[in-house]
Amino acid sequence: MRSWKTGWRFVAAGALALGVMAQAGSADAADKFKVFLSMSYIGNDWQAEAANMVKAMAAHKDFADKIDLQVQVAGPNAQRQIQQINAMVQAGAKAIVVYPISPTALNAVVKNACSKGVIVIAYDAAIEEPCAYNVTIDQEEAGRVTAEWLVKKLNGKGNIIAITGVPGTSVDTLRTKAAKEVFAKNPGIKIVAEAVGMWSQAVARTELSKILATHNWNEVNGLWMQVGCYTANAMQLEAGKKIEELLPCAGEGSNGGRIQMLPTSAKVEGGDTPPYAPLGAPRISYASPPYSGALALKLAVQKLEGKDIPKLTTLPLPIVTNETIKYCETGSWEEMKSGCNAFPPSLVPNPGWFASIFSDQTPEVGFQAALIGQPEP
Amino acid sequence: MTSLSATTPPTRARRGLRIGRYQGVLVALGVFILLLLINDWMSVGPMSYFEVSSLSTGGAPLAIAATGQTLVILTGGFDLSAGAVISLVNVVVATNMPDTPGGILLWSLLGVGVGMATGAFNGIFVAFFRLQPIVVTLSTMFIVQGLTLLVLDKPGGMVPMGLSNALALDAVPELVPMALVLLGIIVLLWLWLKSTRLGTAIYAIGSDMEAARARGISVRLAQFTVYVLAGGCYGFAGVFVSAQTGAGDPLVGNSMLLQIFGAVVVGGTRLGGGRGGVVGSIIGAYILMIIVNILLVLNVSAYYSTVVEGCILILAVLAGAISRHSRAAKHLRAGFVRFQAWRRGMLPRQVSRATRRLVLPGIEARPHKTPAPSFLVRNAESIRYALPAYVCFLIVLVITELTVGRALTSWSYFNSILVLSSFLLILALGQGTVILTGGLDLSVPWTIALAGILLAGMVNGQNGPMLYALPLVLLVGCLVGLANGIGIAIFGISPIVMTLAMNGILQGLALLYSQGTPAGFSAPLMRWFMTDKSGAVTPVVVFILLFVIAAVILHRRTPFGRRVYGLGNGEKVAALSGINVDRTIMLVYALSGFCAALVGCMLTGFSGQASLGMGDEYMLPSIAVVVVGGTLITGGRGSYLGMVGGVLLLTALQTLLAGTMLPYATRIIIFGLVVLAAVIALRERNH
Repeated sequence: MRSWKTGWRFVAAGALALGVMAQAGSADAADKFKVFLSMSYIGNDWQAEAANMVKAMAAHKDFADKIDLQVQVAGPNAQRQIQQINAMVQAGAKAIVVYPISPTALNAVVKNACSKGVIVIAYDAAIEEPCAYNVTIDQEEAGRVTAEWLVKKLNGKGNIIAITGVPGTSVDTLRTKAAKEVFAKNPGIKIVAEAVGMWSQAVARTELSKILATHNWNEVNGLWMQVGCYTANAMQLEAGKKIEELLPCAGEGSNGGRIQMLPTSAKVEGGDTPPYAPLGAPRISYASPPYSGALALKLAVQKLEGKDIPKLTTLPLPIVTNETIKYCETGSWEEMKSGCNAFPPSLVPNPGWFASIFSDQTPEVGFQAALIGQPEP
Repeated sequence: MTSLSATTPPTRARRGLRIGRYQGVLVALGVFILLLLINDWMSVGPMSYFEVSSLSTGGAPLAIAATGQTLVILTGGFDLSAGAVISLVNVVVATNMPDTPGGILLWSLLGVGVGMATGAFNGIFVAFFRLQPIVVTLSTMFIVQGLTLLVLDKPGGMVPMGLSNALALDAVPELVPMALVLLGIIVLLWLWLKSTRLGTAIYAIGSDMEAARARGISVRLAQFTVYVLAGGCYGFAGVFVSAQTGAGDPLVGNSMLLQIFGAVVVGGTRLGGGRGGVVGSIIGAYILMIIVNILLVLNVSAYYSTVVEGCILILAVLAGAISRHSRAAKHLRAGFVRFQAWRRGMLPRQVSRATRRLVLPGIEARPHKTPAPSFLVRNAESIRYALPAYVCFLIVLVITELTVGRALTSWSYFNSILVLSSFLLILALGQGTVILTGGLDLSVPWTIALAGILLAGMVNGQNGPMLYALPLVLLVGCLVGLANGIGIAIFGISPIVMTLAMNGILQGLALLYSQGTPAGFSAPLMRWFMTDKSGAVTPVVVFILLFVIAAVILHRRTPFGRRVYGLGNGEKVAALSGINVDRTIMLVYALSGFCAALVGCMLTGFSGQASLGMGDEYMLPSIAVVVVGGTLITGGRGSYLGMVGGVLLLTALQTLLAGTMLPYATRIIIFGLVVLAAVIALRERNH
């Protein structure tokens, strides 16, 4: 029995410590709207960047005195996100901004939240429950437009490699299906290999290496990837291809890929060592824009203030090709507004960082917001 | 000894025994109530019925699945297919269930039936083919994931409201949620099961399978039944998830797997079997779920959440382990005794070193007569266990040549295979050595990522800083492993909990260090090392050959290697034969941390930069290659060369599948089947 008491003392001490920590955190003004952000998995570039932009939006002077934002991570597990959203409702949330792990699994809990008068707004992926608000892009269009670009670039004839996303997700299935429909209409296009890229540059590298163990770059004419063009270009250079021989690649909107799209003559600060350098790579670059979370928060606040907001906000698909690529000298708001879309490597040391951060609907958050979570002045 | 125990009053002994037996459950319950109180105290307003109902409904699938896993673990097994089965049943229900009371009942039962069928599949191979549970269920996991995607390739489908009303709402309105009633029924069934012959058999098999068999327990039948029952539980969890979410999602259960293990271990069930129970696991499941609420009321910032969660997990388990017989307490007492001995100058190293051995004349002079047995005889066992992986590897090579072409005849193919294998070859040494001692290292993914991020950040595209950055990062890896080892060896925390919590803590550290976006690039030298194709071989291939030789020597020819094998054959025996158990365990985990960090550095070189989550893909493969290579998951048996065969087989197989145009669902089904076929070949012959 003695062991019992020791055990309790141990736990009690821990609890006390946690309690003290918490008291310091929860001394906030009560007249602000309580808004929660329920993120899914935080361990990748896109999620971290989107979270930065949401936090920056909440810290912007227009919002800082209106809302009290709390960010929580559910991890990759839908059960936990269900639990988390319930807890948020319980904690008196006025609005919940959510990156839904599953478009369907949250239906019941979201419906319940709505019935308690909580505004639920999802970004990037959508929630099917009709009472939820969604901020998303048209994934089918993304698949179709990029595939059409590749077909056109290859004049309707050639062998291509396809690298898809996370199997079993709506985003991946919709994009891949739309793209394959385009390829099927063009009998000259042949997919010679296909692999699952998990939306990660590192996985794309491994999978391409596996494919190239039994294939040769010379028998490939183009690439359709959801994420990985940056890596594919690097691998072609390693394999001895010349810069002007790089294959057309339809793929993600990472800054590394965007810099590679710039003509070789471009002067780029910090970008003098390939592969993170201007290569004139033939590309179409698209991405789910990471500002969608920040916009969702903004819409939620508008709704809280009594304005009407649309149930579904479909963001324009941020498409950049070699014709529209434009280098940002500083990444200032004005510069982005005038159309620049590739940021200096000296300021963005991570080539996997997503560059589609501009929207004229969100003047509160710019380059610094995406980078370090600081709002525009 | 017998006379001594006869003199102690029997009543006291029995009472102590009883409390000891339920300590795990009681402490878990205590921790849960405490967390509940913290949650209630911190949040606004008193706990409402809504809160009770949402918590009990939210945690129910995890609790039900953990029930099934507990049965398996009690018999000394391990079931990795749990999460996948939940997904499969969810999509089956969501695509088929009609909105009629009869249809709902029928498809709910069919859902449980699907779970039981996969359980029977596992059970046949584990019980009757006597294959290792971890590989069988790993194969099943892949096959079931493939089937799930064939049923439904993206979230969708529709679950009738009737099911949700039946399971996810109230049994007695505003008083008792249905979930609690169901769990109550499960607990009653469990108590009944415990009192049956099967219940006795479950504990007996988990404690000592041979002894159970000798006592006349039908071990195979009991094992089979347990897997079927467990499958049924996962199936029911899948039905419950369907009721709770109202739709299908082919990925919904997969990420629950680690939580299921967490719930079982937090609930006081011992991995390896024989001790614990379902009630603890159910409480464990709710502890894991209420942590979500605690993190919310404490307003823990996103980057810290995995760190805090890991710490809570460790604290909860530590609290459960505190007793006079716990490892930590023993170490404390031993340390105290040692300290006293040191003060008195009685430690072995303090007393005179003069040898006091009895010297018999003529002993040393006797020549060594018996000739050493031939290489084949000495290594017959290792070869038998390692060979199947190599044979399968050759078969895969031939199939590759026949279907995709350009394999056997092309050096660049072998070069690619070896480069791709290099990561797993290194991880296999770390993970394999840990497994040989009977442990498991689940902190591999974020050790890899943290190492890569640290290295890229420090070298930032320069060769010079590699000089200090590389050793420093590898040292960090060792320290991470050492921390795991200390938790496991000194504090007696279960390896799964310790390394799982460590993984979360490392994830938090990596996020904090990188502020969400890892900066920097690998050194050009490292890129050249991993990707150069100008010569005949990529430099890393040469390195990996040397590494394999060094690893074999480490396992076979060093005292450390012998201690590892000794430890795997039983901790007590090892300790009695003079092995410093604690130090060996710590070194083994440090080795694993070192290997993971090395892989992180190499991956950074391979990709050119580091990314968060870059280690995620390596967790299950690192375990799979070890067991496919013939290593026993419970420790003691296996060889590094066998693991090398496992790595080559899996890499060649993945490369073959990547070269084909098969859909992903078919690929993972084939992958699972081949892994299963490889281990059937490894099967132990009947004694």
